[in-house]
Amino acid sequence: MASPPTLYAEDPAWQDVVPVPQYEGVTPLAPIFYTPEYKDATDYFRGILKSGETSERVLELTERIIKMNPAHYTAWCYRYKTLIALGSNLEDELRLTDVYCFKYLKTYQVWHHRRLLLQEELDFIARCLGADTKNYHTWSYRQWLLAYFNHPQLWKGEVRWVERMLSDDVRNNSAWHHRFFVVFAAGQGEQGPEVIRREIAYAKQKISLAPNNASAWNYLRGVLDHARVPYSTLTAFVEPYTLEHDKEGEASEDVVDLEDPPPAKGAELPCALAIEFLADVHEGEGQEGVRRAVELWKSLANEYDTIRKKYWEYRIREALATQN
Amino acid sequence: MSSQLHVDKHVSYIKSLGENKDDLTYHLTAHLRMNAIYWGLNALCIMNHKDALDREEIIEFVMSCWDDEAGGFGAHPDHDAHVHSTLSAIQILVIHDALDRVDIPRVVKFILSLQQPSGVFRGDSFGEVDTRFSYCAVSALSLLGHLHELNADLTVQYIRCCKNYDGGFGQCIGAESHASQVFVCVAALAILDRLEEIDYETLGWWLAERQLPNGGLNGRPEKLEDVCYSFWVLSALSILNKLTWIDSDKLTSFVLSAQDPENGGIADRPGDMVDVFHTVFGLAGLSLLGYPGLDDLDPVYCMPASVIEARGLRKGWQALPRRAVV
Ligand SMILES: [Zn+2]
Repeated sequence: MASPPTLYAEDPAWQDVVPVPQYEGVTPLAPIFYTPEYKDATDYFRGILKSGETSERVLELTERIIKMNPAHYTAWCYRYKTLIALGSNLEDELRLTDVYCFKYLKTYQVWHHRRLLLQEELDFIARCLGADTKNYHTWSYRQWLLAYFNHPQLWKGEVRWVERMLSDDVRNNSAWHHRFFVVFAAGQGEQGPEVIRREIAYAKQKISLAPNNASAWNYLRGVLDHARVPYSTLTAFVEPYTLEHDKEGEASEDVVDLEDPPPAKGAELPCALAIEFLADVHEGEGQEGVRRAVELWKSLANEYDTIRKKYWEYRIREALATQN
Repeated sequence: MSSQLHVDKHVSYIKSLGENKDDLTYHLTAHLRMNAIYWGLNALCIMNHKDALDREEIIEFVMSCWDDEAGGFGAHPDHDAHVHSTLSAIQILVIHDALDRVDIPRVVKFILSLQQPSGVFRGDSFGEVDTRFSYCAVSALSLLGHLHELNADLTVQYIRCCKNYDGGFGQCIGAESHASQVFVCVAALAILDRLEEIDYETLGWWLAERQLPNGGLNGRPEKLEDVCYSFWVLSALSILNKLTWIDSDKLTSFVLSAQDPENGGIADRPGDMVDVFHTVFGLAGLSLLGYPGLDDLDPVYCMPASVIEARGLRKGWQALPRRAVV
């Protein structure tokens, strides 16, 4: 059996491609002298660039060039374009580039290539989640991908993206969970009081749009617990949600309080989740507070959240027992 | 809409499942066959009809799924061993008191080989990691009497990392809380006597919050109710001793309304097609709620309580008292 030709110029499978030499029509002042294999491959690569072909053999060609010159930026770019066009398997490509990463740690191109691939994967997941916005496996794959490759470039767009998911559906618990994951649990390690303030403000704003949304309240509680911010700092915000719509108050709604946004006009009030929150605040205030908390729990048990009557009765018993 | 449990119908529904092997769905569900037999048998046990399926036939089937290369059980005779089907096989053999048929040290070795450096388990030697598989491993090792061979600290450490701000647990690190993942993590911690890892108040509340005004339970906020969560949520609550927080009457009527009163079986919700998975978990939920005439179920192992007690494995869970048949 004949061994495969080492030059594309001699390979019948590449006969249809017209090679383009580097210095076509010009005479360089200081020509660089390459090996015949490299010159051959890049001549055919330029031919491919001209024709715009994206196919399996282009992957083979770009791989050969990259092996000879891992800094060949255009070969990497075109390889990426071809992979996307062919819908190639991302993991195979990552495994292939693993080798180059170890070999050419200082080559910027190989890392950039991987980042592009991962970005493409994130976009792909985003498209999947567009079709099925709460798919558990798709979400957890995204979380795995972010945490596993843990690159600042990948994390960069996450908060903005999840914000879009939440403005499409403010009740998507998966998206709320993802936000916590990105901002606090793994994420870019964002820290400091501004981040806490931003997240509390964000949750408040989403609650104001749709107060009866357990996901947003759970998120708010999660942020407060995480940052050890007392619930009592939110009393002014929560109180209006525990009351029925106030006719006079609504007239003055054009004075928008950015700190404590009021419930949206059509919202169903009082909101059980707000009553629960306020009761938690009061419970921590001592004797008089417990009395007020018990009143609120009673209203939940008997009127606003009767399905969990047993739970609210338990809270009442516990609070009264620890008081005595 | 049914107001009572059609035990006889459900028994004949389960008996009919294995009979029609020409059925397309029989082949489509081959990857769950071992689990399905455990579900069916467990459902029969809950209804006090354990012997409705032939003991020898079942044991024969289980042994035909032994994967001698791996040292575990596959879901079907020609399938590779998996930790989930291995657990189901062990559960079936324990219920039928037939563990002597198994090469226990080899199964233990297979299960232990699936633990990853992070502490979580893979389902098989190639597959994904999932806290469900950690539970399968912990439960199976415990039933085999070899829990002491497990690196318990490492196992717990991974589960701890899956705890979320809402008190619940997810499938892997970073994943959203989900009632079925909460069950596997809580039950694994119960078996390992490490329940102190749990934030009782936050998780108890999150679980109680799963009940919807129609009485049914969902698996995550803002999702639809589904009969199978009667088990995932109730078992976790009974391990936390907080089962009384659920409106038991409303949940009972929700589960009953999902029965097929003519041909037997329970669906995910009223009006849908029944299947053995929702049948067993609907019955399991009813048992934990003290439904009259049913046998006690151990929520940690999801097996007959008497079987677990006899092996000295009972943990401190609490179901609702069994109501008298009226
Ligand atoms: Zn279900």
